[in-house]
Amino acid sequence: MKKTILTIIFTYSGLIFGQEPSQSSYFAPVLDNLSFSFESISQWYLNDSYVDSQGVNSIGDEKLRTTNYLRLDYSLDDNFSAGLQLESYAPENLLNMSNLYNKDLGIATYYLQYQKKGTSLTLGHFYEQFGSGLILRSWEDRFLGINTALRGIRLKFNLTENVSLTTLYGRQRKGFEISKGDIFGVNSEINISNIFNVSGQGNFTAGFSYVSKNETYERIQNESEMEIPEMVNAFSSRINFAHKNFYTNIEYVAKSKDLRLNVISAANGASFSESKTFKGNALLWTVGYSQKGFGLSYNFRRLENMRWFSERSYSYTVTNQTNQLSINYLPALVKQHDYSLANIYLYQTLPGLMVENYQDPLIKAGEIGQSIDLFYKFKKGSIIGGKYGTKVNLNMSYWAGLETKYNDPDPADYVTSDNLTYESDFLNFKNKLYSDLNLEIRKKWNRKLSSIFTYINLFYDKAYLETGFYDKVRAWIGVVDNTYKFGRGKSFRLELQHLSTNDDARNWVGGTAEFFFNSKFGLYINDSFNYEESNNPVDTKVHFYNTGFSYAKGASRLSINYGRQRGGLLCVGGICRQVSPNSGLTLNFTTSF
Amino acid sequence: MKINIITLFIILCGFTYGQEMLPNIELKTLSNSTISTQKIASENELIIISLWATWCVPCKNELDAVSDLYQDWIDETNVIYYAVSIDDSRTSNRIKPMINGKDWDFEILLDQNSDLKRAFGISTVPYTVIVKDQKVVYKHMGYTPGYEEELYNELLKYSN
Repeated sequence: MKKTILTIIFTYSGLIFGQEPSQSSYFAPVLDNLSFSFESISQWYLNDSYVDSQGVNSIGDEKLRTTNYLRLDYSLDDNFSAGLQLESYAPENLLNMSNLYNKDLGIATYYLQYQKKGTSLTLGHFYEQFGSGLILRSWEDRFLGINTALRGIRLKFNLTENVSLTTLYGRQRKGFEISKGDIFGVNSEINISNIFNVSGQGNFTAGFSYVSKNETYERIQNESEMEIPEMVNAFSSRINFAHKNFYTNIEYVAKSKDLRLNVISAANGASFSESKTFKGNALLWTVGYSQKGFGLSYNFRRLENMRWFSERSYSYTVTNQTNQLSINYLPALVKQHDYSLANIYLYQTLPGLMVENYQDPLIKAGEIGQSIDLFYKFKKGSIIGGKYGTKVNLNMSYWAGLETKYNDPDPADYVTSDNLTYESDFLNFKNKLYSDLNLEIRKKWNRKLSSIFTYINLFYDKAYLETGFYDKVRAWIGVVDNTYKFGRGKSFRLELQHLSTNDDARNWVGGTAEFFFNSKFGLYINDSFNYEESNNPVDTKVHFYNTGFSYAKGASRLSINYGRQRGGLLCVGGICRQVSPNSGLTLNFTTSF
Repeated sequence: MKINIITLFIILCGFTYGQEMLPNIELKTLSNSTISTQKIASENELIIISLWATWCVPCKNELDAVSDLYQDWIDETNVIYYAVSIDDSRTSNRIKPMINGKDWDFEILLDQNSDLKRAFGISTVPYTVIVKDQKVVYKHMGYTPGYEEELYNELLKYSN
C-alpha cells in the first residue's frame, strides 16, 4: 500500500513540475492533434472513534481506494475524431459511490465522430441533452459518480437553415456494461423568427422531442391479465421567446403508461404494481426580465411520475442512490450553496411515483413549486453602492408534494394492492415540503477588502424528504465571508457561519480560514460543529473538520484534504444521497494537455 | 497494468506541452441559437474563454474582479472575453438575471451539457484559457483573489 502511495505521489510531482515545452518534438505533428486529460481521486480511510461509534462498519476491508479517469481525444483532420476514456476503480470504487463501477481497469467509453458544418455522425458513446433535459439527458459527473452516456449511433444535421434535427439510438452505460433497455430519440430545434422573417419582433424558437425506451418485464404474479407496456414513450414540446429585456420559456412533457414502484417496507425492498399502469407529465415555465443592473426571474415546475430509468429496477432510490441509468434530468430547482451549513437541509427533488406502505399508505406522486430570483446592483457612487457598487441577490423558493387521493379496492393492513389508483390535483401547493429565502449581499470595501453576507431562512420537512420519523425543521443560517488581498496573488479569506434551529440536531457553528500564498498555492482549514445536545444521535456535539492544501499550475491541479465527513444526507449539485460518515485523507489530481 | 498506463502517461506528457488547437464545440447563445468555438475564435484574434457557473463562488469572484477591469483590457489588448456557463437546467434560468444584475459586459455562451468542459478535459470550474489565432496559448484552473492581475500580464504577452 505504501508503495502505491509513493508511486502516486511521485507520479504527480513529476507531472506538475516536469512540463517543459518541447518545441522540436519528433511526435509534435501527431501529438498536436491529440488531447488528453487525467483525473485521480484517492481516499485513504482512517480509524476514527466518532465514525466507529456510529456502529456501522461501512468502510469494509479496503481502506485505500483510488478512482482514475484517463480520457484521450484524437482529431485526424477537421472532420474525423475519435476518443476513449479509461477508468480504474482500484481496489474498488470510493465509499458511497455506485458499485457498478467495479473494474481495476477498463475501457469505459469510446467514440468515433464525423463532423462537417452542421452535420455530425457519432458511433460509440455520446452525451446528449434534449431541451432542458426533462425528457433526455445523458451526462457525466465524476464528483457525483454518475455517467449515463449512451452507446449507439447519433446523427445530427440541419434539415433547413432554421430546422436542426438529432436522431439517436443507444443503450445506456451501466458501469462497464450497458443496460438492457433500448433508447431511441428524435429532437428538433426550430427557429421560428427566422422562418417568418420577424426577428425584429423578438426571438422565437421552438423544440419538439420524442424519446422511447424499450424493455421487457418479467411478471412476478400472474393474477392480472393486463398487458405490461414494454415500450414507454415520452413527448416534449417547448417554446422560447425573447424580446429586448423580456424572455420566457415553457416546456411540457408527457410520458406514456408504465408500472408503478411499490415500496413494501424498508426491509423488504421494492416491487412493481402489475395490475395498473400510470402516465407521467412535466410542466416547466420560466419568465424573466433583465436590464443593466437589474434581473428578475420566476420559475414554475410541476413533475408527476417523471422518474425514468433505462432499467425499471433502478427507479428504487434506496438501491440506486446515485441515480445511475437515469434517462432524464430532474434537478431540484433551489439555490445551490457553497457553504457547508447551508447544505445540511437542502431540498432534493421528488419527481417519481411511489407508494410507501404504512398503516395509511403514503402516495408520493411528484412535486410542484416555484422560485423567484432577483438581482440588483446599487450603482457606484450611490449611498448604498459606495465606491464600487453593491450587488444584491434575493432568492425565494417553495416546493410541495403533489396532493393525491387514492382508491384501493383490495387493501390489507400495511399493504396496498396492485389495483390501487390515485388522482392528483393540478395546482395545489398545500403539501409543503420545503421553502427558503436567501439574501446575498456582495460588497467591495476597498481595493483589498471585500465581503459576502448571506442570510438563509428555511423550512424542511425531514419526515417526508428523508423517509422516517423525523422533525420538521425550521432554521436560519447566517454567513459572513471576507477576503483580503495582499497583492501579487496573496490573499486571506475568513468565513464564519451559524445555523440556528430548535429542531433536529439544533444549532451549528462553522468556519473556514483560507490562505493563498500566490495564485497557485493555498492552504485551508474548516470546521462545522454541532454544539448542542439534541435527540439526533448522529450529529450531536461533533466536529466535522477538514484541512488541506491545493496547488494549481496551468491546467493541472493537486489537492490533499484530511478530515471527517458528516454522515446522512450529502447534497452536492442539487442531488442528495445517503452517505456513511468517514474520516481520512483525500488526494485529488487533475491535468489535461 | 495500472503502472503501465501511468508510465505511458508520463512519456506522453513530455511531448504534448505547447500550443494546441481550440476544440471545436457547438455552444448556445442566450437567444438559443448555436455558435461554434471555431467561429468565435476565427472572428477574433485574441479571446479569453472562461468556464463558469452561477453556483460557483470563485467563478463569480473572478468575473466580478475582471468586470471592474474589462474596459481597460479591451482598450489595451482588443481582447474579447467569453464567459461560458456550464449551468444545466437546474440553474440555467439564473444566468440572464445574474449577468445583468451584476452588470457584466462579457459575451455569454452556454455549454448546457458540458461538451466544452469535457473537451477541455477538466472537472471543475472556473477554468480560463487565452486563445490567440485559434490556438490555446494559456490555461489556468481555479481562481484565487488577485489572479486577474496575472491573467492580464499573460494577456499582454499575446496582444500585438
